[in-house]
Amino acid sequence: MRIRIRGAIVAGGAALALAVLSVAVIPTAGQAPATYKAPRSPFKDGKPDLNGIWQANNSANWDVQGHAARQGPVLELGAAFSIPAGLGVVEGNDIPYQPWAAAKKKENAANWLTLDPEIKCYMPGIPRATYMPYPFQIVQTPTHILMAYEFASASRTIYMNSKDESPADTWMGWSLGRWEGDTLVIDVTSFNDQTWFDRAGNFHSEALHVVERYTPVSRDVLQYEVTIEDPKVFTRPWKMSMPLYRRVENNAQLLEYKCVEFVEELMYGHLRKKK
Amino acid sequence: MAIFERRSKVLGAAAGVVLVSVTLAGQAPASHGKPLPRTAWGDPDLQGIWSIATITPFERPATLAGKPVLTEEEAAELEKQTLKTSNQDRRDGAGTDVDLARAYNDFWWDRGTKVVSTRQTSLVVDPPDGRVPAFTVEGQKRATARAARGYDSWEDRSLWERCITRGLPMIPGPYNNNYQILQTPGYVVILHEMIHDARIIPLDGRPHISPAIRQWFGDSRGRWEGNTLVVDTKHFTDKVSFRGSTEDLHLIERFTRTDASTVRYEFTIDDPKTFTKKWTAAIPMTNTDEQIFEYACHEGNYGMVNLLKGARVLEQSK
Repeated sequence: MRIRIRGAIVAGGAALALAVLSVAVIPTAGQAPATYKAPRSPFKDGKPDLNGIWQANNSANWDVQGHAARQGPVLELGAAFSIPAGLGVVEGNDIPYQPWAAAKKKENAANWLTLDPEIKCYMPGIPRATYMPYPFQIVQTPTHILMAYEFASASRTIYMNSKDESPADTWMGWSLGRWEGDTLVIDVTSFNDQTWFDRAGNFHSEALHVVERYTPVSRDVLQYEVTIEDPKVFTRPWKMSMPLYRRVENNAQLLEYKCVEFVEELMYGHLRKKK
Repeated sequence: MAIFERRSKVLGAAAGVVLVSVTLAGQAPASHGKPLPRTAWGDPDLQGIWSIATITPFERPATLAGKPVLTEEEAAELEKQTLKTSNQDRRDGAGTDVDLARAYNDFWWDRGTKVVSTRQTSLVVDPPDGRVPAFTVEGQKRATARAARGYDSWEDRSLWERCITRGLPMIPGPYNNNYQILQTPGYVVILHEMIHDARIIPLDGRPHISPAIRQWFGDSRGRWEGNTLVVDTKHFTDKVSFRGSTEDLHLIERFTRTDASTVRYEFTIDDPKTFTKKWTAAIPMTNTDEQIFEYACHEGNYGMVNLLKGARVLEQSK
């Protein structure tokens, strides 16, 4: 433990030097403009402080690509639960599916209600958890960053400056983090093939590799950029980006959305004892 | 629990000294003189991964009545005996139900191999007999109703079998006894490996949320009393119950770092609708170099499907 902490401090020093360089000399896309300097972490490690409750405010969870509004799947719910339009969050609005995968995406969309893992309250995976319509909280320490999601009480730990490997495939991925200047970069691997990107059937395989970049661009906004790579499903890596907003209410706190109890009748109802 | 009470008093006295020394050196002296770790902003540092696995029973067995603490020799003997009787790798009695129940062999269990470091004979420390106080009349009625539950639907099964939560307070279980504590200014976070619950506790003095909002984990608020983190939790949903407790349960938890490798965890159950008096358990949390991994439960809950399916098949065959 002591060794690990010392390692983090050394690596932190190196990253700080890099931060100065990258802001002053080579600001790249997705990084903070030199005009905004985020408050520093209370751990006094020189890193920006990303602690807070954050939430996307878009319709990417319905469909990460641009889409018009359309009627929802449950007639009785009418206008209350129909699908809002969205400009899309995919760079170029094109997801480069291999031909077989494009066909599967269509099939997923056509069978949304039976195939979408969200409907069964399964852990949503990354990046979907980030832009579902629920807040999530970042708990940042120098060695571990916890992201706790309201949906399904899903959570994941980001190991900073670690090379540890996941012992198994997971729903939320295996997250290794590092700082590039003021940007938190997270390399996420070891996914299973069970999660989706949205309610429109966009999917991946267990070969999914996600690289996330969280950059503070103002006190209450993180710019989120995510690169999706999966050679079994796509012909090339592709990107999504969106702002994440701080929940600024004084009393903001994650509440529970423990949805298992909302899906038990759906999943086990046929096994209930007949009266 | 005379020994325990005396120890808490010593700790309490140390806490008084701490307040003074914080401002001077930023470090708190422990009762044995070594400084306890502090966060960069001066709070006692509880961070790390902690295990509460232990073979110490929750309540004091009748055979140990009147004996609050084991000697070292007695503890060693109990550990030896427990390992022998709980051994699931034994293959004697092949073909019997007893052997069938060992299908989960020792590889899958993680109950711990030691009694708690204090060698107390039960995790319950108050009342002094180490036993959970009697139910109220109403509490007893509910307990009887609970025991009668079967397999008609998932609603008859425990929240753990349903993969909803293992709930509060934290008590040793047969596996996944690890918890990670993280701290930032204004928050203490306890990550439960089972079932990936991240419990985020505000320390900023904000009031509890509206009692109209009832939750599986209730609503927690924390504060420092000297070196001890005190967490008050209220507003539980009536769908969750700890040993019969109701939605009126007021849970008070106390976390005190007693040395580099130990956090003393103590919880008090205050629920006059269920128990004839308040009661308290104490569990030392031990630092571990193990990691917390994703505990997906509901995602693969074949157990629930098979259990209900089995019950329906049994009915058909009757």
